[in-house]
Amino acid sequence: MYHLNFGLIWRYFDKLDWGLLLSLELAVASIAIGVVIGLALALLYDWGGRTTRTLVSIYVEFIRNVPLLLLVYLVFYGIPTVVNLQYDATTSFIATLSIYAGAYLVEIFRAGLVAIPRGLIDAGKAIGLTPWQRLIYIRLPTMFRVVLPSLSNTFVSLFKDTSVASVLAVPELTYGAQWINFNTFRIVEVYTVVTPMYLVTGYLILGALRQLEKRFAVR
Amino acid sequence: MSDPTPDNRPVVRIRGLKKSFGSLTVLDGVDLDVGRGDVVSIIGPSGSGKTTMLRCINALETYDAGSVEIDGVEVGFRTEGGARRRRSERELAPLRAETGMVFQLFYLFPHLTAAENVMLGLRKVRRMGKAEARDVALKWLDRVGLAAKADSLPYQLSGGQQQRVGIARAVAMGPKVLLLDEITSALDPELVGEVLEVVRKLAEDGMTMIMVTHEMAFAREASDRIIFIDQGKVAVAGTPAEVFRGQENERLRAFLSRVSHT
Amino acid sequence: MLQAMLSSLPSLWRGLLVTIEVAVIVVVTSLLIGVVFGAVMVYGPLLLRLIIRLFSDVVRGIPVLVLIFFVYYGLPVTGLNVNNFAAGVTALVLFSTAQVTEITRGSLQSIHHGQMEAGKAIGLTFPQRLVYVVFPQAMRRFLPPWINSVADAVKGTALLSLVGIVDLMLAIQQVIGRTYEPMPLYILGALIYFVINYSLSLLSRRLEARYAHFRE
Repeated sequence: MYHLNFGLIWRYFDKLDWGLLLSLELAVASIAIGVVIGLALALLYDWGGRTTRTLVSIYVEFIRNVPLLLLVYLVFYGIPTVVNLQYDATTSFIATLSIYAGAYLVEIFRAGLVAIPRGLIDAGKAIGLTPWQRLIYIRLPTMFRVVLPSLSNTFVSLFKDTSVASVLAVPELTYGAQWINFNTFRIVEVYTVVTPMYLVTGYLILGALRQLEKRFAVR
Repeated sequence: MSDPTPDNRPVVRIRGLKKSFGSLTVLDGVDLDVGRGDVVSIIGPSGSGKTTMLRCINALETYDAGSVEIDGVEVGFRTEGGARRRRSERELAPLRAETGMVFQLFYLFPHLTAAENVMLGLRKVRRMGKAEARDVALKWLDRVGLAAKADSLPYQLSGGQQQRVGIARAVAMGPKVLLLDEITSALDPELVGEVLEVVRKLAEDGMTMIMVTHEMAFAREASDRIIFIDQGKVAVAGTPAEVFRGQENERLRAFLSRVSHT
Repeated sequence: MLQAMLSSLPSLWRGLLVTIEVAVIVVVTSLLIGVVFGAVMVYGPLLLRLIIRLFSDVVRGIPVLVLIFFVYYGLPVTGLNVNNFAAGVTALVLFSTAQVTEITRGSLQSIHHGQMEAGKAIGLTFPQRLVYVVFPQAMRRFLPPWINSVADAVKGTALLSLVGIVDLMLAIQQVIGRTYEPMPLYILGALIYFVINYSLSLLSRRLEARYAHFRE
């Protein structure tokens, strides 16, 4: 008969709360870099010719159809064997997750750019703005408001994906849970605590971003 | 009103109909008799309960008190050894087959052609075979002037055409009474005429109809009786001539003057 | 490099078969249960709706990996001694079912209530309305996201390598352990996953185009 004992969980709780913090940091770093990649490629796609579009599509389709785990291994174990680069597990994971995020964000930004009403762009042309000015002052601001809901969902998704970092022994939340699992065998207790940690954090993120959406709502 | 013997028993008989949505009383004791072949128009301000009353007749809405009978059969409740029980969904299905409804927003089934829209009820409720159902469907589509569009999908039809298919779908079932819920209100003006023409013909052919409408001219011309509903009750009832002329009811006067620039 | 790739093919093939086997079980089971759950969420009684909602929100709110670990390490504790294959499959089934429930719920709710009313008006019973009016229309909203969830299930199988199931991902790791040449194998593995999931993605786009003419 299994006896619940949460005491051990609280004793090692630092593995979990610092782990959660690291998970969030990984997510924030990845989405920040991912946004840069995604936006740049979305604009490039919009602007460029057939070759550019094909290259961007190859990147997007490749990343989206391959498991994240494989990508994580490829970047951490594979790349250093062919290229003279050295990096630690955390850097490797952030790089991987950023590239992963970028692929999904390209699609979101592309859809956002397309959704801008023609009329707004025409109005910009009518007052004499150059293409670059139209981009900065009209298209990008409008696009951001439109994609905010999708961005929030992507962010929460990425936050959950940070759990894969545990395979590289990066001490985020899932790694912390497994550490406690292997060292105390308190499997039920630890995951009973970790599950709400993920859930609540996810809801808080969505809630906070929803507030942001309201402030910037598209009329 | 009519003497309730089987031959001239009213097709629809409503007594003391009451319905509330939460604290809002929408119907506050409505009485109505509709005889075979009668065409009754229901007019009144928005929110007066006209559509709710219509929807109680084919049990799309449940009612709180009173009775609604179609050909002597109570729609919302059944009496079981002295107790009144609400009818379940399963019991209501066959009862609804005896009424036909045409909706303001058409609600055609977008994944079916015009003919298939009409045939669905015939095959699944009247249990006709495919060939027989198609014959009946084509006959009714022809009656509403759309035989050529039998195999078109709804998105390929204009609003007026879609509504005519909606009428065919309802009438093909052979209902005892046809319920028309503001069927032209969502149509572009130039398409209204073709739909009203179909309704006129149905009336001439003896279809029993109850219509909620804003088309005052049409109501005057086509109805046997007009009911003015205000604040959940029948405020004025009579022939078109009576209702449009004798304006003793102040609210009716106000309503008509607001509507009359159509 | 080519030599390494070729000699590893038999092991990879066996791993791929396991991956496909798991994916098929997960997809079929989650489809059957998920569609029922989704329909109950739209048409069922309040208590059932809440329970299913709770299940769906919790399962979708945690990482798949956490779910897999929880089931794999947790089941033996309850007395059920299942092998790692069953545990892994169970975890993925739970995950996929929650996804299918959401997709079903979304597609059913997108059907305008007027359609149900028109069905009622011609005398159709509730089951008839579902089969002849609602489901055919919901299909169009259901299929593209569902095919996505099938691709997610295939990608999810890779995580089962972490609990010792010898799927394609673990087979790749094992071969690398023998040959010490990671890159060729990772590329090959990526290509295999890519071919499977990209085909699914193309299918989904084809279907979306086919149904596009429906228009509300």
